[in-house]
Amino acid sequence: MNASTGWAAPILLAQQPEIPALDFWLIVKWLLILAIVFFGIFPGIVAYMVWAERKIAARFQDRIGPNRVGPLGLLQPIADALKLITKENIVPATADKVVHIVAPVMILVSAFLVLAVIPFGSGMVAINPPSGALYLIAVSSMSPLGIFLAGWSSRNKYSLLGAMRAVAQLVSYEVPQVLSIVPVILWTGSLSMVAIFDRQVEYGWFIFSPPGLLGFALLTIANIAEVNRAPFDLPEAESEIIAGYHTEYSGMRFGLFFLAEYLSVFGVSCLGTALFLGGGTLPPPFTNALQEYVGTYTTGSFLLTNAIYVPVFMAKVGLYIFFMFWVRATLPRLRVDRLMNFAWKFMVPLSVINVFIAAVWYEFVFRPGQPRYLIGWTVTGAMVIVSVVVMISLYRASDVIEEAEIASRPLPGRGRRPIPTGSTAR
Amino acid sequence: MTQAILFGVISVLGLITALGTVLARNLVHAALMLVAFFFLVACQFLLLEAEFLAAVQVLVYIGAVAILLMFGIMLTRNILGDDTTTVPKSTRRLSMLIALGVFAVLALGIATQQQGPPGRKPWKELTERPAVGPDDLDRKTPKAQIVNDMAKFVGRDLLTRYVIAFEVAGILLTAALVGAIVIAHQERDDDPATRVLESEAAAADDAAAADAESSRTLLTSSSTR
Amino acid sequence: MKDIPLTWFLYFSAACFAVGLLGVLVRRNAIAVLMAIEIMLNAANINLIAFWRYGNSPTVEYPGSRISILAESPLSGPIFAIFVITIAAAEVAVGIGLILLCYRRWKAADVDRFDTLAG
Repeated sequence: MNASTGWAAPILLAQQPEIPALDFWLIVKWLLILAIVFFGIFPGIVAYMVWAERKIAARFQDRIGPNRVGPLGLLQPIADALKLITKENIVPATADKVVHIVAPVMILVSAFLVLAVIPFGSGMVAINPPSGALYLIAVSSMSPLGIFLAGWSSRNKYSLLGAMRAVAQLVSYEVPQVLSIVPVILWTGSLSMVAIFDRQVEYGWFIFSPPGLLGFALLTIANIAEVNRAPFDLPEAESEIIAGYHTEYSGMRFGLFFLAEYLSVFGVSCLGTALFLGGGTLPPPFTNALQEYVGTYTTGSFLLTNAIYVPVFMAKVGLYIFFMFWVRATLPRLRVDRLMNFAWKFMVPLSVINVFIAAVWYEFVFRPGQPRYLIGWTVTGAMVIVSVVVMISLYRASDVIEEAEIASRPLPGRGRRPIPTGSTAR
Repeated sequence: MTQAILFGVISVLGLITALGTVLARNLVHAALMLVAFFFLVACQFLLLEAEFLAAVQVLVYIGAVAILLMFGIMLTRNILGDDTTTVPKSTRRLSMLIALGVFAVLALGIATQQQGPPGRKPWKELTERPAVGPDDLDRKTPKAQIVNDMAKFVGRDLLTRYVIAFEVAGILLTAALVGAIVIAHQERDDDPATRVLESEAAAADDAAAADAESSRTLLTSSSTR
Repeated sequence: MKDIPLTWFLYFSAACFAVGLLGVLVRRNAIAVLMAIEIMLNAANINLIAFWRYGNSPTVEYPGSRISILAESPLSGPIFAIFVITIAAAEVAVGIGLILLCYRRWKAADVDRFDTLAG
């Protein structure tokens, strides 16, 4: 053993007290685990997420939802998957074939890679790199590229429009997404997802603080935008640009986009849960109930902690996903220029302010010594309320000015209004 | 051994993608090759046990620079990223000679270096890295601490030892951002008369132009304003 | 198991640098030139990290004192690489802006068309 088998060797290493040698059988073992977990479990989760979404959306609209295949329509996702697999894969004649095939794979890989650093329980993490949070941001920033290539390679106007919208939206909302998790990193003092989990076992969920609450809200909004779901589903707005960047995809390649989208919904829900909702820990009075067992890897403690942590984690993720379905069933789609203004004029400034408030909270609560919760809550709570109110009123004012400006423009050419796409997408 | 094989694979792929970036006729294909090259450089960083830099590389280069380049290609050429013009054949041959010459000089320098900097070994004798992994379990040496938690130490050093450079880089980034916006911003003509004329002309053009052309104007207007 | 020698990384980075140089020389499209410059910057980064990883920061002994301190920051390699990445990002942003402007002015993105200043 020497330095070359340091943790950074690019083959997955579990969080173990001893770093194993990078031999052939270890690689085979991990490949098998990866094959089972990533090609069996997660697509299964995705399939039943789709079923749940259809059922829930149906209830919101006073319908029944899928109920033909199997009891309660439970076999519907399997039927859908079979249908997608058996359908013909059509590549448009003018399309750029290689790029057309590579693009959905790229998006799917990006969605899968996010899950590698999520701590589902104590020690239940595929890899624990010291800069796990940065890794997470880095791999999720690869998906706009895949979307762009999908739209570009299709040789279709609507695909390209959808791709341009998607890239502009994803790049814009990535900024508040990253800035809203800075408080968590600040409080933990580490980028490791496991360290963030341990810190929350020790101190309680990060959401229970004014800056944490604001950060969680910002992260949730940015997450919904990042996974292109209503009300931020402009890249695939079916009533405007057919289906956006995946218009020209059919069969299982379309299925890959579908899988990637729902997988990234699952991924961002895991992200929100792991960063702000305390991972798999129980709600407040019992948050640190199992603290002494965390980090010990005897079989008994491992089984005991994870028998509680993993189901609790999944329950939280389920609630988070349900919230996203709820938002989708409730809110109408935004206009493109409003979407951009909301990211750049509202979310980015607010999340920068939130980093500052998080530093104040750190001073009151996390500084070594007696935590002063009362004064911390009062001061940072007041700061959060003031900044949110000020930002909302500023945003409203700028919106009023902008709307007046748009209304005063003369109608161009053949008497049509300027196409909304053209206004602020950058 | 594993490491040598990984290095070989990564290097060969890296060189192929770099050559692809340089020689691909279609600009979007070149950009795609460049993305692969960035990714392989991140892999090299992983081989060098700098995982923080690998993540930064993916985040900045693939997440931002590549997207920016793609937008640039879309906005300056026809959206299909069609074949790029290249220099005449004689110039190309000369360029290849120059590039080969530069590589030869660099390789010669690496191969024949006899003496390292004062107090250091020459490069050829550096075949072992300072241990930071299991051999050095206490992680006492600064290097071991840094390799195992680079983000923390980089953050600390950026705000202490390198704070001036950090501030200057911040100013530079702000200036670059403002400058890029000022340069690329297209001033909208605010005179109503010319605007109406222009919009009518644009409408006439729009009706006449072919599909690809009209979608390009749409995209240009949507992305540069 | 033996480590890879440092020189392998140096050769790889030299080759990448030469390829980038080739790109700067043979390409006419300004964006392609920008991409080739990015390749060269990345090659330099590999060098910086390789030297950092293989080198040992020597300590300086002070005579008559038991203190020995590092002659240089043990982090200079990564910090330098991070600054290179920062500058590269800024460079691409400004470069694309300039290319867009030139494209509007000359209706072409080829570097040899921007020759108004040539006498």
